[in-house]
Amino acid sequence: MADWGIEVDGVARSFGSVHAVRDMTFTAGYGSVTALIGPNGSGKTTLMLMLASLLAPDRGSIRIAGHDPVTAPRAVRAAMGWMPDVLGSWSSLTVRATLEITGRLHGLSREQTTSRTDELVAQTGLTALAEQPTRVLSRGQKQRLSLARALVHDPRVLLLDEPASGLDPAARVELRSLVRRLAAEGRCVLISSHVLAELDEMADSAVYVDAGATASAERISSARTSLRQWRIRALDPSAIVPALDAASIPRERIDRDHLGTLVSVESESDAARLLDSLVRAGVPVTTFAPVVGDLEHTFLDLNRVSTPPQPPISETETLS
Amino acid sequence: MTFFSGIGTVLRLELLQRVRTRAWYILLGVFFAVVGVVTVLLVLALSAFGDAVGGGVLSTIIYFVLLLGTLVTPALSGNAVNGDRADGTLATTQVTQIGTWQLILGKFLAAWISALAFLATAVPFILVSILVGGVGPDVAFVSILVLVFELGVVSAVGVGLSGILTRPLFSIVVTYLVVAALSIGTLIVFGLAGVATQSTVVSQSRNQDFGSYDSTTGEMTEVTCSPWQTSTYTTPRFDPYWGVLVANPYVLLADATPTRFDEGGNPTDLFGAVKAATRGAQIPPDLEPTYDDCAPEYGTSYPTARETIEDTVPGWFVGALIHLLLAGGLLVGAWSATRTPARRLARGSRIA
Repeated sequence: MADWGIEVDGVARSFGSVHAVRDMTFTAGYGSVTALIGPNGSGKTTLMLMLASLLAPDRGSIRIAGHDPVTAPRAVRAAMGWMPDVLGSWSSLTVRATLEITGRLHGLSREQTTSRTDELVAQTGLTALAEQPTRVLSRGQKQRLSLARALVHDPRVLLLDEPASGLDPAARVELRSLVRRLAAEGRCVLISSHVLAELDEMADSAVYVDAGATASAERISSARTSLRQWRIRALDPSAIVPALDAASIPRERIDRDHLGTLVSVESESDAARLLDSLVRAGVPVTTFAPVVGDLEHTFLDLNRVSTPPQPPISETETLS
Repeated sequence: MTFFSGIGTVLRLELLQRVRTRAWYILLGVFFAVVGVVTVLLVLALSAFGDAVGGGVLSTIIYFVLLLGTLVTPALSGNAVNGDRADGTLATTQVTQIGTWQLILGKFLAAWISALAFLATAVPFILVSILVGGVGPDVAFVSILVLVFELGVVSAVGVGLSGILTRPLFSIVVTYLVVAALSIGTLIVFGLAGVATQSTVVSQSRNQDFGSYDSTTGEMTEVTCSPWQTSTYTTPRFDPYWGVLVANPYVLLADATPTRFDEGGNPTDLFGAVKAATRGAQIPPDLEPTYDDCAPEYGTSYPTARETIEDTVPGWFVGALIHLLLAGGLLVGAWSATRTPARRLARGSRIA
């Protein structure tokens, strides 16, 4: 029995002269949510396709629930649920029929399929639409159907490619709690998204990819310890800057935006000390928070220091 | 899940998703009406020639179903695989326990069954033709069997090409071109090649010089023969190319079906007429004919259709084999291009 839900080691895949994935290595464990973060064209979807047993890697090895997708695709498919970033659905079939057929395609019995369908329709909030053909669904509803379809065979490893795009805020909150619940049930969830603030609240760990390669642990930790902006708001905004001067913060680290005063600090402990000195100085602080989330901070910082990204090439764009 | 139950699930999905639409039922309704009108007109028209007109009616209906089936099937099957890819539903099927062969064969069967819906719609009229009389049970059985086979070939070509080619529109067009190449292209090749191959005919002939009335003797002069005359001309040769026609579905259907003849040795249905005409192409022309007017028994007797058919060889099984290889080869090609995990991708193709 494998300890990791997903193991990726030195994986590369090119399309002709385009190296979509050059060197990716990471692991994702059961019972946790792993975020896959990277700019457009960094190879996230190509990686997802390889994990989903649809695309064979040129080099390196992949294990999904302990199985190799190249040599044992059926075992991988039995253990893995994939929600693609392309929203395709059988337009003439009802929501219920879609899930039932998917269950049958996974080799479930008729009874298993029926009970599982009822369960998933309720879980993803599609009960009212269960008898509607899928062509009438909105983008967000299709997204939920796609997630339900990935869960039909109760997989232990879940690959979610941009699951939150097109969802309204309420649906995003629901998705977040659903994803957390799936992880709490012991599943390994790999999730890619551009909405980094949201991943911040969902993910236990993150894999950063850029230009087809995963960022090394050292680069990530150095990015994490670099300067980070915090936003300060107070009942009396004019009191903030003198207090910062008193705390001997250099002026070039102080900035303003329409929401408040921005201060660059090096670490969380520096931030805590700064807050302490502001409060002691009698500044009526109402907000003291990082401007961007952890993931976004690391992501932006990695992009800043990384090698220039590969030029976007049309062939990789058509690959998802 | 067994191999066959997997095919069954794909088949069900295809029939639910692709085929069972309102437009499809309207098309079948129109087809029903058209075949109905044709049947009534045929029964009325052929009744002028005799009682047993059922054979003529049946063969026309079968040809009609073949025509419409081969016209509609490419549109239904020619985007079976790449259309799903464009809709983003192919990959969702491929990440299940369904294997590539189950997927391809399920789609092929769905296309075949939907083509056979046209045959099923025509069944009432086939029964009418049998009730009218003059239809041999062997004729009905064999011709329907060959029709079913041919519709399967077109379905397989469509599904195969939809797996091999990336763009749905392109694969539909190529499927139509394959159907056209078999149905019309074979005739064109046959005709052009035959005309392009000319043979020289050296013809010998002599005529009878009829005697004339001699007024002085009051008797007829003796009947004499003119000297032999040689004339040279060229004639097209079709006999080396009759093999091209065996791949034509209409010829194949006629060639495989047993023929009934009337007392004069003429076929009683359309299949027989087509069969006699195409079998006649096997017989080489006489390159050194002699026409002797003075011979005691002159006058050339042409062979009847019955004699032509009985003296020549059938070619339908060769045609059927060619069709089988074409259909099978394209399905294997589709399987190979759709296998996952994919190692090679066509340029610009999407696998999701």
